Amino acid sequence: MPLTELKKGEAGTVAAIRSRHRRGRGFEKRLMDMGLTPGTIVNVVKSAPFHGPIEILVRGSRLALGRGMAERILVEIDKNE
Amino acid sequence: MNEKKLLIALAGNANVGKSVIFNHLTGLHQHIGNWPGKTVERAEGTLHFKGYTIDIVDLPGIYSLSTYSLEELVSRKYIAVERPDVVINVVDASVLERNLFFTLQLIELETPMVVALNQMDIAKSKGVQVDTKKLGKLLGVSVMPTVAIKGVGIAKLLEKAIETVEKKRVKKYRVTYGDEVEEKIGKLIEKMKRVQLVFPPRYVAIKLLEGDEEIEREIQRIDPQIVSTAEKLADEIERIHGHCCSTVMTSERYEAAGCITRAAQKLVSPMKPTKAEWLHNFTTHRVTGYLTLVFSLLLIFYSIFTFGDYTSGLLADLLYGLEPLFASAIGTGIVGNLIWGGVMEGLIAGITIVLPYIIPFYIILYFLENSGYLSRIAFLMDNVMHKMGLHGKAFIPMMLGFGCNVPACLGCRIMETRRERLLAAFVTTLVPCAATTVIILGLVGDFLGIHWALALYILDLAIIFMLGRLAFRVVPGEPTALIMEMHDYRLPHMKTILKQTWFRIAEFIRIAFPLIIFGSLMLKLAEVSGALEIVASILSPITVVWLGLPAITGITLIFGVLRKELSLVMLAALLGTTNFAVVLTPIQMIVFTLVAMLYIPCIATIAALVRDFGWKKALFIAVFEVVFAILVGGIALRLLTMAM
Repeated sequence: MPLTELKKGEAGTVAAIRSRHRRGRGFEKRLMDMGLTPGTIVNVVKSAPFHGPIEILVRGSRLALGRGMAERILVEIDKNE
Repeated sequence: MNEKKLLIALAGNANVGKSVIFNHLTGLHQHIGNWPGKTVERAEGTLHFKGYTIDIVDLPGIYSLSTYSLEELVSRKYIAVERPDVVINVVDASVLERNLFFTLQLIELETPMVVALNQMDIAKSKGVQVDTKKLGKLLGVSVMPTVAIKGVGIAKLLEKAIETVEKKRVKKYRVTYGDEVEEKIGKLIEKMKRVQLVFPPRYVAIKLLEGDEEIEREIQRIDPQIVSTAEKLADEIERIHGHCCSTVMTSERYEAAGCITRAAQKLVSPMKPTKAEWLHNFTTHRVTGYLTLVFSLLLIFYSIFTFGDYTSGLLADLLYGLEPLFASAIGTGIVGNLIWGGVMEGLIAGITIVLPYIIPFYIILYFLENSGYLSRIAFLMDNVMHKMGLHGKAFIPMMLGFGCNVPACLGCRIMETRRERLLAAFVTTLVPCAATTVIILGLVGDFLGIHWALALYILDLAIIFMLGRLAFRVVPGEPTALIMEMHDYRLPHMKTILKQTWFRIAEFIRIAFPLIIFGSLMLKLAEVSGALEIVASILSPITVVWLGLPAITGITLIFGVLRKELSLVMLAALLGTTNFAVVLTPIQMIVFTLVAMLYIPCIATIAALVRDFGWKKALFIAVFEVVFAILVGGIALRLLTMAM
């Protein structure tokens, strides 16, 4: 499911990034470079009101992602939690 | 003794304290320019140490060495082509894994390097302990702990860097990818054996598999067959993993960074949420965050305008006090008149505006940026800016625009793509700058009441919003989304802020001053030669018929392009009174202010636009805004006449 469906405080594992380009250029590449590679655990800290960006923790760093971008990141919820 | 020369480059993620280290190393012996042909900043400095003359280049803060942004491209080229003797990789100890991802890429570029493990203090407070010796051993690179903000470890870092050059140690860690990837890298290296390359062969092989456009283009020129082989091999990897090859390799590189991080760092759970953490939550909260934002913006503008107004008056008194002295030296003939009234008054105008308003603005801006608050503002404003097809970061140049449009346009470089830079610059030129504010407050505010001035501001914001949306539809290209790091709050390094401000001001003076002085001189020339009346009569169809203003205002509008802040003074001079209520009806005041507010950025702003976007686009924006302002002014006249 998209990262945006995680609630505040929930964590998920990145499964894939829905890409518009076949070979992962542009923003997909940027997301990977910032640490959002498949298999990475992402914590959703909060989202800004009125459909604003979401705040996440990835590999120890705090990122702000625009909502449109976040919707393209597919995650799986960890079952054990 | 003969001088030995060294070239050192500083590289690392954004916001890791790179520029603080740069400032410690170089002091005032530095110089900021642009990379040739690029709108990417290049900071250079020189120092003398242990018999070496060392040139230091501060590369832009980046997260990767791919081709995502101009900054990344420039940095990679620099390291590969200019071959600095050693690269100092500044690493944020509190976000080790992500920083090491970049370090590993530097290692892949096979450049001699040293790691500065910075912000050890912040890491400690977050409960992160890093074993520097172990980290150094794992990476095969010297690692020096530093706390740049306090100057701790800088001298040792420099010693280590020189030692690295002298020893020419090369045995380093190597990211080992999965077997199937390594096999393909091997194949490609084999293929490239006879080819002369700028980058190391293994690096080229990796980048080809990742589908790096720039490297592909370069290799295509040499041997297209290599590129097509690489594409085939990349497809094979994609088939095995189910992800595209570049994703696979990035993941594996991150995996390696993660392994090293886990081995070298110990996480002690922090005793309690730190103050920085609390502040972050408070300033990004859906209620308190916006309240803080509004409050701090009001406070900033209020204090800048209060301070600016006071200092500006003081400076003007002081400088205009020189006039009699000047008159007695040069005389009051035509030449004297031109030199004082043209050149000197232009200079004075520059000084009385730049120093009092722009300097504090920059200091506050850099304080906010370095402390981390700007990224929180971008987070909160992202949604609003998105409606204009921009993302949260664009709010920052817009904010700057309220001070002066020139630095604001240059500030649009923080946007990632050319399209966004252009869009951001366009909306920024519509923001009323300090000089426009003087007109709004001095005419409408003083004579019609502050609520009318506020109404104009709100109208302007609405127009900005509308035109921004329109431009976003019209300019081709995809909108980009916000991807931004919000680093922990920290106390900024004052000296670095002051230096950054100084270099910005110097840039501003270089761009704007010659034009302000030129404009002022032209103005005086026109006045002396009697060209003003002619201009007024040529413009009268627009000013009198369409806008319903006295013909004489045409002059102020034309010359407002040269020196906007003078519009009001000139209006007073031409109308023969400062009591505008006698000569202008309320509607005329509103129409005049409206046109002045929207009609064109000043000539210095146009120059800034030309510099970053070229003649065509700059001219287009300027002409568009003139036409638009006149249109809005005429419509407002008719609406207001009907209403009153």
